[in-house]
Amino acid sequence: MPEIDRREFLKLVGASAGAAAAAGCSEPVEKLIPYVIQPEEITPGIPVYYASTCQECPAGCGLLVKTREGRPIKLEGNPSHPINRGSLCARGQAAIGRTYHPDRYPGPQRRNQAGQLEPVSWDEAIRLLARKVQEAGPGTWLLSGEPGPTAGRWIDRWLTAVGAGGRVVHEPFAPEAVREATSAVFGVASEPLFDLSDTDLVLDFASDFLEIGPSPVEHGRQLAAARDVAAARGRTARLVSVGPRLSMTASNADEWVSARPGSEGLLALAVARAALDAGAGSPEARQALAGLLEHFAPERVAGQTGVDAATIVRLGRAAARARHAVALPPGVSVTARRAKASAAAVLLLNHLLGAVGRSVRIPPAPAEGRRRPSYRETLALVDAMKSSKVKLLLVADANPLYSLPVASGFAAALEKVPFVVSFASAADETSARAHLILPDHTPLESWGDAAPRLGVRSLLQPTVRPLHDTRAFVDTLLDVGRAMGSEVAAKLPPGSFRNLLEEAWADTDWRTALAGGGVFEGASPAPSLPLTPGATRLEVAEPLLEGDGEWVLLPVTSGLLYDGRGANLPWLQEVPDPVTKVAWQSWAEISHATAGRLGVELGDVLAVETPAGRLEVPAFPRGGIRDDVIGVPIGQGHTVGRYASDAEHGRPDAPRGVNVIQVLPAATDEAGGRAWLAARARVQKTGRFQRVAVVQTSQNQRKRRLGEAVSLAALAAGDAHAPAANGHGEAAAETHGDGHEHELLKPYDAAKDSAPDSPYRWGMAIDLDRCTSCNACVVACYVENNVPVVGETRTLQARQMSWLRLERWVGDGDLEGGRKLPIGAKEAPGAVDVRHTPQLCQHCGAAPCEPVCPVLATYHTPEGLNGMIYNRCVGTRYCSNNCPYKVRRFSYFDYSRENWPGLLSLMLNPDVTVRGQGVMEKCTFCVQRIAAARHTATLEGRTIRDGEVTTACAQACPTQAITFGNLKDEKSRVVQASHDPVRSYHALHELNTRPAITYLAKVKRGVFEEEA
Amino acid sequence: MASRARWRPSRRALGLLGASALVTASLLALPGPEPVGAQGQSSAAAREAQTLAGDESAPGPKQPIPFSHALHAGTYQIECLYCHTGTDRSMAAGVPSVESCMGCHSQFGADLEGVQILQRYWDEKKPIEWVQIHRLPEHVQFPHHRHVKAGVACQTCHGPVQEMHKVYLVPDTKWWPWGTPARKLEMGWCISCHRENEATQDCFACHY
Repeated sequence: MPEIDRREFLKLVGASAGAAAAAGCSEPVEKLIPYVIQPEEITPGIPVYYASTCQECPAGCGLLVKTREGRPIKLEGNPSHPINRGSLCARGQAAIGRTYHPDRYPGPQRRNQAGQLEPVSWDEAIRLLARKVQEAGPGTWLLSGEPGPTAGRWIDRWLTAVGAGGRVVHEPFAPEAVREATSAVFGVASEPLFDLSDTDLVLDFASDFLEIGPSPVEHGRQLAAARDVAAARGRTARLVSVGPRLSMTASNADEWVSARPGSEGLLALAVARAALDAGAGSPEARQALAGLLEHFAPERVAGQTGVDAATIVRLGRAAARARHAVALPPGVSVTARRAKASAAAVLLLNHLLGAVGRSVRIPPAPAEGRRRPSYRETLALVDAMKSSKVKLLLVADANPLYSLPVASGFAAALEKVPFVVSFASAADETSARAHLILPDHTPLESWGDAAPRLGVRSLLQPTVRPLHDTRAFVDTLLDVGRAMGSEVAAKLPPGSFRNLLEEAWADTDWRTALAGGGVFEGASPAPSLPLTPGATRLEVAEPLLEGDGEWVLLPVTSGLLYDGRGANLPWLQEVPDPVTKVAWQSWAEISHATAGRLGVELGDVLAVETPAGRLEVPAFPRGGIRDDVIGVPIGQGHTVGRYASDAEHGRPDAPRGVNVIQVLPAATDEAGGRAWLAARARVQKTGRFQRVAVVQTSQNQRKRRLGEAVSLAALAAGDAHAPAANGHGEAAAETHGDGHEHELLKPYDAAKDSAPDSPYRWGMAIDLDRCTSCNACVVACYVENNVPVVGETRTLQARQMSWLRLERWVGDGDLEGGRKLPIGAKEAPGAVDVRHTPQLCQHCGAAPCEPVCPVLATYHTPEGLNGMIYNRCVGTRYCSNNCPYKVRRFSYFDYSRENWPGLLSLMLNPDVTVRGQGVMEKCTFCVQRIAAARHTATLEGRTIRDGEVTTACAQACPTQAITFGNLKDEKSRVVQASHDPVRSYHALHELNTRPAITYLAKVKRGVFEEEA
Repeated sequence: MASRARWRPSRRALGLLGASALVTASLLALPGPEPVGAQGQSSAAAREAQTLAGDESAPGPKQPIPFSHALHAGTYQIECLYCHTGTDRSMAAGVPSVESCMGCHSQFGADLEGVQILQRYWDEKKPIEWVQIHRLPEHVQFPHHRHVKAGVACQTCHGPVQEMHKVYLVPDTKWWPWGTPARKLEMGWCISCHRENEATQDCFACHY
């Protein structure tokens, strides 16, 4: 093999045809630019997939990176990875944008005397840093996110070799309280692994497990499996969500128990007490816990938690009755000063319910010396910085200036550090203050590994040559060490980080591991651990909150923006929040009662004041939040970043929305973990108004039955009329007799297809009982189909371009006598009836859009697709006006020119037309994937097999709510799924559009009733 | 090479051997130009082909290298797919890499001006910027592999390339049933062929 490897080739060539206008020629001369050396694995036009690992959160999902002509164009889940099994969440889907992001640093930069950043060569930068490390010695500290195991090991060796002070791992959402609680209760300092797949009752204590973690994709899949009504009719698992707010997770629950934030531990113990009284638990467990639980009688706790005793008793009895019940510990937003005790209380409840060793697995503690995220250490470092003990601060894969509270004093402390080095690959708040920037590769350009849990070792491999003059973080460190002289260099290994990684994986077959994404062992048996002697010595009490305000300030976690790291990825901004449906902005959730008292409505700006600070944010009144709580989402309020800041309105240094972290006290829990729920707030009306970019302005479906639900009883009775004789159909059923006999209500009949010769009629089944509204499908669609992102201004003008949207409907809705109710008016504690309806082109058999097109730009294909021919479209928009589902989008602007700035255009899918100005566009059922499968099948002389082609949305879905396939194949999964006699229905079927999409109604499991 | 997950044993060396074997074989088997060695003089036919390929008065755009398809595909009878690899497997037609060209031309034709230009590209590791001649209109997807496997000759769309020293778009016009003309590579031109061969006429098959 010559010296030039594949990455060299990519540097040498432009893979596709570049355009160059020739002077004096009306038509541009297009060039064909082939490779100098064509890499063996690349054939232009054929994608190549590489296995890697997602780095967006600590869950460690496996990736398959789809590359075309040497550049990644789409991230997909690795089907053989045990954590995500082929699915990928919205954040993972959007992560591809990091590599092509216009905010990336083009190369190393240093700050000059005038305070401006100027480019510097790597050699010079490394010599400079080597000198600084030499000078600072033990005053050198590293603040970083949690690196992979191999990187972490070598970072530690480097720190020792150069005589640095040490390092601190800063991971804002790390479940430190749960780790400490596990240590206190079971004597093992590790994070428990929850497996929901074999449970029949999940008690969620505001854990936000479907949004944030610890592993949202995995838990979404497991919950869907446990709740699968087809697999176990009538024995489906129930999810009870306890918390201050009807979050996305709680919206998917069967019952929402509105409890005071921070009282989850008390409630868990009271539920345990009720379960104990109902006879739950092994004799040993009962004996161990009886003493503690004596003090937590439901009646006593009711006042402190805001949950009445009867509900607590009901939950306790349900838990005692359940075969396999599991309780999930409190999540980030309710992590208060007593978070460790709260988490311990939930673990004790699990212990009583016999879940430990079955649904709750306590893995052995990580090997000694592996640094874990620690807020206590982070604050200690900030103190050291304040007292000028830190001479040189290295910041990698962390943005503490954004994610640490102002009250921690980090900003002032940073001023006191004489030299700050950032390894950020793209600009963020912290790197904007650094003296030297040594940009790291993005994860898609990097080597690395991850060990998200015992038995799962995952690899990262570069899928593209670094697009900018960047260097791997560990390689930079090693080079700095080598530049410090032979004494230091002798302590460091030769070669690059890539060599070190291969050495660390020497116990495996490197090539097999790399091709498969890692080494995955089966789940090891989980021992049922005994309690430690001190396990029941808990100080569970109400949270201690700072301030004298009337409302508890709840920092709401967002499954899209996470801890704010998603804010600069345009898709995560554009996709509306799954609960409020607000995009690009911040808001404050208050109850209708609060709104009434303050005299505010949607968009009235509130002043929220805590002892730590003050912010102004528009109100979002809804039913799904407690009267004593104000919820402000985490993630916005960045002052750096093309999409994260307010650059859209010409103010790149101004924040977009507000950063709620700025008004949180720098509080810690008993064990030094971060306490997010730490303040009470005074809330006042400012009198100002801001238009809130709500994408879905009503969650009342007005009995249109777009999102259907059936009760468990109706399901068990096989009541075929429950959803079918619906909507206007109630009357229709009366008029026309049996609903199923009526022409409008008949399911798809292959024999009556308009194109009998075609072997295919593409269709889809969407199971609303599985959909959690996580938005993975929506972002996958954006990336797969080159859908433009329009920004805040045009979102306010209702010009979003998404082909697939998630509608959120609360109950059946009502007509309200023509009045328009506030959003979320119908949300209330108790039985949850929120239906999440993915709405996309229904590919109607009798499509209303088709006959009104004057130029036949939209028409029905022989394969049953509703085709949209862009170059034929003249933009009359008649089709959109006639579409009852409102899924057609019109490009009012030439997004092809402005929407993918800089290198972002390299991530466009070359198989999908980038639509120009003035044409309609909509879901195509990923026709490019169908075409590719058809080509393959035809060349092999067969028809497309079931499962051979799937849409981007179905592929991404963690819960497999979407099934795509051929309706003419009786054995296909989509036909099997569509033939649910009770749950299947077509949206707006009474219009006789004959959609290709069959929805399966959500199952209303209702609240637990007392046993008769 | 960097160890990548996607890896197969090198075919490049084999390709090089195969290339020389093939060219030698075709030279031996056919009447016409005498075989030449790396050090030897190229044939008069080769020199003439190069001159014709570089003829600025001939139709077709000027290319960075006066490459004669008539010599390679015609006289030497090299299969189209030998250089344009992947055309039978992919939507896209492969344009040979500089390395592919050098597979043969490291041994043949060093005295020719065109090969010397090629050698310079190779030495500088720069890609050749060919001027595209057969360009489909916007918004259409053309699967080369399906057409190749269906037995459609390359010449059907690309013209008698094996006779062209300098390639140009050979004009052709098909007539719609209602009498409107469709020039080559326009939609009506595609459709007329699809109609004759009872291939799909579904818009969504090509436009998405």
